Amino acid sequence: MFKRKLAALDHHAPDSVNINDEKEIKNLVSWLENQKIRRYKIEDRGLLQADGPEWHTNFDKYCKDLASPVVDGSMAEKLEWLIGYAVSLEYADDVEKYKGQTAENVGKATPNVPKIESSNPLDNMDFESPDFKKGVIALAQILNITPHPDHLITLKAVSKVVRERLSQEALDNPNNIVVKGKPFPFQEADLGFDMGDYVLNQAAKILRLLYIHDLRDLQTSINETIVAVQSITADPKTDTKLGQVGR
Amino acid sequence: MVVREYNDELKYLERIDANSWRIKKGFQPNMNVEGVFYVNSALEKLMFDELRNSCRPGMVGGFLPGVKQIANVAALPGIVHRSIGLPDVHSGYGFAIGNMAAFDMNDPLSIVSPGGVGFDINCGVRLLRTNLFEKDVQPVKEQLAQSMFDHIPVGVGSKGIIPMTATNLEEALEMGMDWSLREGYIWAEDKEHCEEYGRMLNADPSKVSMRAKKRGLPQLGTLGAGNHYAEIQVVDEIYDKWAASKMGIEDKGQVCVMIHSGSRGFGHQVATDALVQMEKAMKRDNIETNDRQLACARINSQEGQDYLKAMAAAANFAWVNRSSMTFLSRQAFAKQFHMTPDDLDMHVIYDVSHNIAKVEEHMVDGKQKTLLVHRKGSTRAFPPHHPLIPVDYQLTGQPVLIGGTMGTCSYVLTGTEQGMQQTFGSTCHGAGRALSRAKSRRNLDYTEVLSKLQQQGIAIRVASLKLVMEEAPESYKNVTDVVDTCHAAGISKKCIKLRPIAVIKG
Repeated sequence: MFKRKLAALDHHAPDSVNINDEKEIKNLVSWLENQKIRRYKIEDRGLLQADGPEWHTNFDKYCKDLASPVVDGSMAEKLEWLIGYAVSLEYADDVEKYKGQTAENVGKATPNVPKIESSNPLDNMDFESPDFKKGVIALAQILNITPHPDHLITLKAVSKVVRERLSQEALDNPNNIVVKGKPFPFQEADLGFDMGDYVLNQAAKILRLLYIHDLRDLQTSINETIVAVQSITADPKTDTKLGQVGR
Repeated sequence: MVVREYNDELKYLERIDANSWRIKKGFQPNMNVEGVFYVNSALEKLMFDELRNSCRPGMVGGFLPGVKQIANVAALPGIVHRSIGLPDVHSGYGFAIGNMAAFDMNDPLSIVSPGGVGFDINCGVRLLRTNLFEKDVQPVKEQLAQSMFDHIPVGVGSKGIIPMTATNLEEALEMGMDWSLREGYIWAEDKEHCEEYGRMLNADPSKVSMRAKKRGLPQLGTLGAGNHYAEIQVVDEIYDKWAASKMGIEDKGQVCVMIHSGSRGFGHQVATDALVQMEKAMKRDNIETNDRQLACARINSQEGQDYLKAMAAAANFAWVNRSSMTFLSRQAFAKQFHMTPDDLDMHVIYDVSHNIAKVEEHMVDGKQKTLLVHRKGSTRAFPPHHPLIPVDYQLTGQPVLIGGTMGTCSYVLTGTEQGMQQTFGSTCHGAGRALSRAKSRRNLDYTEVLSKLQQQGIAIRVASLKLVMEEAPESYKNVTDVVDTCHAAGISKKCIKLRPIAVIKG
């Protein structure tokens, strides 16, 4: 929990804080106060190191002193607010430095074009060039794929179709590889719940179908595993001499 | 038991809609929840006749009518929602057969009752499809029936042809269908299309008595007697084309094999052993019930836990049993048609349990709760998208297999959302007895029953002629009425109707 915020605060172990351990909570709160928040005078900060139930009283008072809006919440909620508060203080300390870090700019900092020079010609392509976009759309049209506004998603779909339907195996034995499903009127199928909105319901139906598709793949690989094990263990026997018909 | 005049009894019964009735509190003492039963007009008459007969002066003792039994179950500790009677409900031991009752796992007072599961633990139905059509099978149906009869031993005291040792049995009890898979008797897809994937994980063979194991060992791979059967059936009607095609059923006339069997003497012994233990537990924990036959123990007690573990072992036994018979049926077909079972496309469509108690999650008054659902003579019928049904049936809902009686038709239904809410995903299991066994024997003549089947063009092989009378269609409620009621009430949906062309019986 809190991994990202703690990392932003330069905490020494952002990954491993266990908020179910009282000792670790105590250390975390005390670290926040000493290093980031500094609400109390140094000599008063010992209150946040107290033992037993006294600590909880002190902690609640501390939250109150900081005007935390989380009054009745769980410990996790209280800590969440406290760490967030520390982050906001950190931000306020140097607004100029941090204000450029918006989601858009962070996205730009990790561009789609790989920086490593490579002998693979694909790595040197400009995935954002108009030529490339046009190419993807053309490819999608040939394969009868509805283009997505984001050409990279369209490209993923193209790649999936090529991998699953146009592989050498699939071309040699289309009957074995290409699943021949029967159309099922899923529009009439019971969704099991109603979200009160036609479009949302449609989206939920499609999600359900995708989920069923994944589940089918999982079940198929389970079956394949069972069959593989059976080839070692199976030895069915019958002995008609044992049989006896009753009355 | 409260003794009232028939007309006074009727005051506690109230019609909800065309297909269901409410049993109000007070009908029997200490009811914690109301009862509900589903009937159409034909079945309604049978229900009320049964009640009226029991109200006649001098009718003390003997079987309690189904409605009274449903109400007694409603008085058990920890029951939630309602005690539900399905359309095929009839008197049974403690619980009526065709009764669903669910108990809150988080209520320390909640109970588990062997009477709510039945003596034939995990009795159930399995349906195999083939790619054959009626015209392929009609000319050879006598040979095929004989071949099935030779492969699958039937009747009281029959012994199976699959060699089993005591160690094999221990493993099978723990592993269920995984054992059959490991030994190579069945296909990987069979497991996929079986309730619980053919294995209850909490099974503990050490909780099962030696006596049960001794009874069970030679019986694996045998059909048994009573209402159990193996039938060669053909598709007679398709109501839901899409759902049927998901099950691999394309057209009328397609041939299927239905196997209806359970855990044989093994399950019976497990239930009997548990009843003895539970009587002690009831005294110790001061559990009071309206009927001595409703022996039960708290779920969390030693006796309750022991029973659940032994019951799970018996359930596994039944799945191995049906799997062994699947293997034998495939062999019989392969020999007759000189084709491999694979080429005959003999896949398991589904395998249902209609005598079992399972831990499930359900919504009770808008809250999700963990319940112990007892289904006795009641089939689980989960709706589309339920996580516990196979991926192939996610869009159609769980297939529900309803076995008819000798010579009558069988049905495949699918689970619905409405059923999930009203009956915790439970529906009927078969026709349900209308006449007692003794009464059938008195009233019916076996030659007549057999010639009638012959006229219908049904090949039949039986081990016992006495059984023919007990199991004659006349002894049962009309399965079509039962299924139509479930369909009309919306607790499950009709998909396929099958009619038999060959019957193998105990």
